[in-house]
Amino acid sequence: MKRFVLIVSLLIIFLLMSATAQQPKKLVFAWIPKALNNPVFELGRDGAFKRAEELSKQGPYKFEILYVGSVASDATEQARVVEDVVARKVDGIGISCNDPTALIDVINKAVEAGIPVMTWDADSPKSKRFTYLGVNNYEGGRWAAKLLIKAMGTKGDVAMLTGVPGALNLEERMRGFRYEIKGYPDIKIVTTVACYDDINKGVQVVEEVMQAYPKLRGWFFVGLWPLFAERGSMPLWEKAAKAKKVFTVAFDTLPVELQLLKEGYLCGLVGQKYWGWGYDTIDILYRRVVKGEKFPDWIDSGMDIVTKKNVDAMIRAWLLKDFKTPLPPPF
Amino acid sequence: MRNRVSRRPLTQVFKFQRIQEIGILLILFILSLFLSIATPTFLTSTNIFNILRAFSWIAISAFGISMVIITGGIDLSVGSVMALSGLITAMMLRANLGDFLSILGGLLIGAFVGFINGLLVSKANLPPFVATLGTMSIARGFCYGLTGGWPVRELPRSFMFWGQYDIPILGIGIPLPVVVMIILGIVVSLFLNRTVWGYKIYAVGGNEQAARLSGINTGRIKLLVYTLCGLLTAVGGLLMTARLGVAAPTAASGYELDIIASAVIGGTSLTGGEGTILGVLIGAAIMQVLRTGMVLLGFPAYWQPSAIGAIIILAIMFDQYRKKKMGLLR
Repeated sequence: MKRFVLIVSLLIIFLLMSATAQQPKKLVFAWIPKALNNPVFELGRDGAFKRAEELSKQGPYKFEILYVGSVASDATEQARVVEDVVARKVDGIGISCNDPTALIDVINKAVEAGIPVMTWDADSPKSKRFTYLGVNNYEGGRWAAKLLIKAMGTKGDVAMLTGVPGALNLEERMRGFRYEIKGYPDIKIVTTVACYDDINKGVQVVEEVMQAYPKLRGWFFVGLWPLFAERGSMPLWEKAAKAKKVFTVAFDTLPVELQLLKEGYLCGLVGQKYWGWGYDTIDILYRRVVKGEKFPDWIDSGMDIVTKKNVDAMIRAWLLKDFKTPLPPPF
Repeated sequence: MRNRVSRRPLTQVFKFQRIQEIGILLILFILSLFLSIATPTFLTSTNIFNILRAFSWIAISAFGISMVIITGGIDLSVGSVMALSGLITAMMLRANLGDFLSILGGLLIGAFVGFINGLLVSKANLPPFVATLGTMSIARGFCYGLTGGWPVRELPRSFMFWGQYDIPILGIGIPLPVVVMIILGIVVSLFLNRTVWGYKIYAVGGNEQAARLSGINTGRIKLLVYTLCGLLTAVGGLLMTARLGVAAPTAASGYELDIIASAVIGGTSLTGGEGTILGVLIGAAIMQVLRTGMVLLGFPAYWQPSAIGAIIILAIMFDQYRKKKMGLLR
């Protein structure tokens, strides 16, 4: 008898739960980064959750975000993740592709199954995704050059530090940087070094370049790798940066870099809107799925240009996790 | 070693050529000479210590892996162990457990992963390649899982001292990691050449069957070398973390290849039974001198991997040729 009561009451609870869960229709969006081991994606994830929360409050739908991906950057593994979420019949997918071609097939399969797919951060232009939300890396590179010239003047030797040679986004940034520098005949890019996305190797090559080119005036760090290391690890660069003998512009706007900018080691930052990767992607998916809006092939996510003048606003944005308020102008 | 040294009569003048390491030492010397002439910066004390510091953690781990390779094994987990040990220490430091405990924790985790490697190889009889491939992935997964992908920063100055301090000797500053490397090199070298344990390590690699028949507990020897390799790798990982002041979960990715290459360039035979610590040290130095040299020369970054690969192959070919001529090779 006791057991019977237990089973019946459990059944009733279960029915009640499923009934309440069914009331508002739930929409599930999968938000898939390149890798789970890269911290910049976590901010995007928070943005995605934030927008889902806002939209759920607004009603009439409930929104759920599926934050899934391969642990490390791996196109094959990522394709499997996409297949998984298609099998789970999600209502929309936003993905940052590890490889433009390797993901075409699974993206098209998802679209054929009736699931709208959009790309963010890294595109797969030949797939049937309905739009791409991304930064214009080429323009970012040009901005970096402008920031550097503003700081160091129109004369002198500069060097570039890249991650893995051949990575499309990094190459685009450097292409933009070179284009902008070309307008100044007295500025010469003397060397380009690679650190293979490794902090240790980054620190090492920066110091080597500081030795090989004692007259160096400017640096363009195409990513922030060596800046993750603590002060004291790059004595030559630090000394020159503090003495305003060498000026450095870097990509990204993580808190470490903002701190260095405030302390005077860096003179400018060009950052992607990580928060928007999630926040805007979910917003676009919502507008597409619920409202049936049409979108252009490419949506520029814009960039944050940070200098000494507006660095405090950016630091505040990180503290409050509020990236919606526009930054004050950099100059 | 063995009887092949005396196979060929040599004049006394060329006696030094019979030393195993002289070939690669010559290569290192030629490389350095070329770079000293070609660049104004190579032969400065700043640069030399910069190079020495840069390969110190690779070399320390390579001391460990050379022991493993001498027994005929391999350890692919070294890169991950470097990252994990540095990370554990960094996390313990951030939890205010103090320098001593944190450093001990990092070293023990390295030794522990090494011990597991040893167990898998000697007790579970897994091929070393497979066993350490597995632990490489497990250790890396822990790095990601424990941090959620974020690097651990803001370590205390007292810890960074180990990686950033230069000991002033005769007016020049010798980086602490370099001193640690030299001390450990001497200790491991003595261990391999002057103790029964060392003799047994060579014996296991030379002919495992014969070693077992002569009463050597080969399983225990393997357990020992893998554990020591883990421990030494952890020392390297900690020094690197102290130098950078940050422990990234992605740190030291792919370093296993650099570490293995250092040992092999240094004359450690992948088939086991052969190798010296001095050779490993020179091997690690060659790798770093090549890398730094390329940057100092302004060699295009995109072509550097090819150039480094080609020079390594040429260097090994030269060394093999020399050994054959001297009758040092079977």
